[in-house]
Amino acid sequence: MASQTEAAVRPTTNKEKSTTNPLKSNVVVGSLLPVTLIIIWELASRGGFVEPHLLPAPTTVVEEVITMAQEGELWGHIWITLYRVFTGFLLGTGAAILLGAATGYIKIVERILDPMLQALRAIPSLAWVPLFILWLGIGETSKITLVAVGVFFPVYLNLTSGIQGVDRKLIEVGRMYHFTALQQIKRIILPASLPSFLVGLRSGLSLGWMFVVAAELLGASEGLGYLMVFGQNTSAPELVIASILLFAIFGKITDEILKRIQTRTLKWQDNMENAS
Amino acid sequence: MLAVDQVSRIFQGGKAGFKNVNLSLEKGEVVGVLGTSGCGKSTLLRVLSGLDENFEGEIKTEANDPKQAFGMMFQEPRLMPWLNVWENIVFGTGKKDKKQEAFELMKTVGLEGFENHYPKDLSGGMAQRAAIARSLLIRPEILLLDEPFSALDAFTKMQLQDLLLDIFEKHRTTTLLVTHDIDEALYLCDRVIIMRGQPGRIESQITVEAKRPRKRGDSYLAELKQDVLKELDFTKE
Repeated sequence: MASQTEAAVRPTTNKEKSTTNPLKSNVVVGSLLPVTLIIIWELASRGGFVEPHLLPAPTTVVEEVITMAQEGELWGHIWITLYRVFTGFLLGTGAAILLGAATGYIKIVERILDPMLQALRAIPSLAWVPLFILWLGIGETSKITLVAVGVFFPVYLNLTSGIQGVDRKLIEVGRMYHFTALQQIKRIILPASLPSFLVGLRSGLSLGWMFVVAAELLGASEGLGYLMVFGQNTSAPELVIASILLFAIFGKITDEILKRIQTRTLKWQDNMENAS
Repeated sequence: MLAVDQVSRIFQGGKAGFKNVNLSLEKGEVVGVLGTSGCGKSTLLRVLSGLDENFEGEIKTEANDPKQAFGMMFQEPRLMPWLNVWENIVFGTGKKDKKQEAFELMKTVGLEGFENHYPKDLSGGMAQRAAIARSLLIRPEILLLDEPFSALDAFTKMQLQDLLLDIFEKHRTTTLLVTHDIDEALYLCDRVIIMRGQPGRIESQITVEAKRPRKRGDSYLAELKQDVLKELDFTKE
């Protein structure tokens, strides 16, 4: 029965694309500016145009990283920071899923819970720090809690709005099949709110990185944030820049992981990115 | 098969919906509901399908399991965008018990080879084909069609109308088709019910005597169309 005209809309495969390899050329084009800037920076430092005790040359920064890595002290700092981000991320996401799902799905919970959470959201993140330190001490707990608070809100907000934004027309399809509430959630509401949830996860993660810096700047004895404070106190700008560099690298890697997950699970979405 | 007894569903202060509708369908019968916009014909389907439960009157079916009594196809395909064609077709059924049947249906609606495509890659006509297969797979006693082809272009529409004829022939599905396309109703249905007014009520009924498949340009159908137009006349009250 399929007519010729309809069969003609069969989409072309993506294989044709890879011959031109847009990724490769994108990488080249995208690196042009930063590479040029780094070269200028290096030349300026070597030529003595900038004070090395304020802005050390890129090679000095890289050397610093390599030395610390070889001496082994760097790994401890990286590990503890990653541990704080991930534990906080997991806790914040877990709490956001529980509360966000309840708020999105059950009207009465929304009316009770949402106004309070929205009010708490208005508190600037750093305002929590003294309280958390007072309550939870200067150990890991207060830092992880701070990260979790940062992660919580974007995930919560996106999940709630994702659930509430599920197309009524799709829900009606489920009702035609007499789905139970649980089946509705599992088979329609969850997959339909997934895009919004993943957006929440990504902004949650980036806030998590921001909050871990805050936590480590304000009272830590190890971690990448602590290295920055240490570099500041010992007038070692290469240490500060190295820490910034490492934050950037790890932030980018973790975001890239989430982005890959997002692209893979949402390949059904009809949007610009998936246009063939 | 289906008996609708004095069913009313009125909202917006008595200005929308329909009133005192009596209707009965024989097994295998295809009945069309024609009406001007706002006469409550879509509401009638929503009431029958169970999506709208605030009605008065009685609806009786012969189905053993009332849950399986009605299958509904909407104006839009309403496919789940995160499922591919195959998963969408088997969406309403449990596990894999209907695999063979689903495969047959997919062949019938002409989607063979498109199992792994996502809805975003389908044309409007193909998406609606998938929706037809999905609504038939649960083997409803009565198939409700809510202006199923109104969003499609004329040629795709004709193809899908012929597909429906094939399906009526093959499965003998009792069908209630709501439409605003007079030609479509006369081409497909044994009987056409005409609704008018706000709230709508059943104005009259026209039986199409010609055997299916009919010719689209048939002079008999053209005459009937004149009758229908007279019944729908906006100037008379």
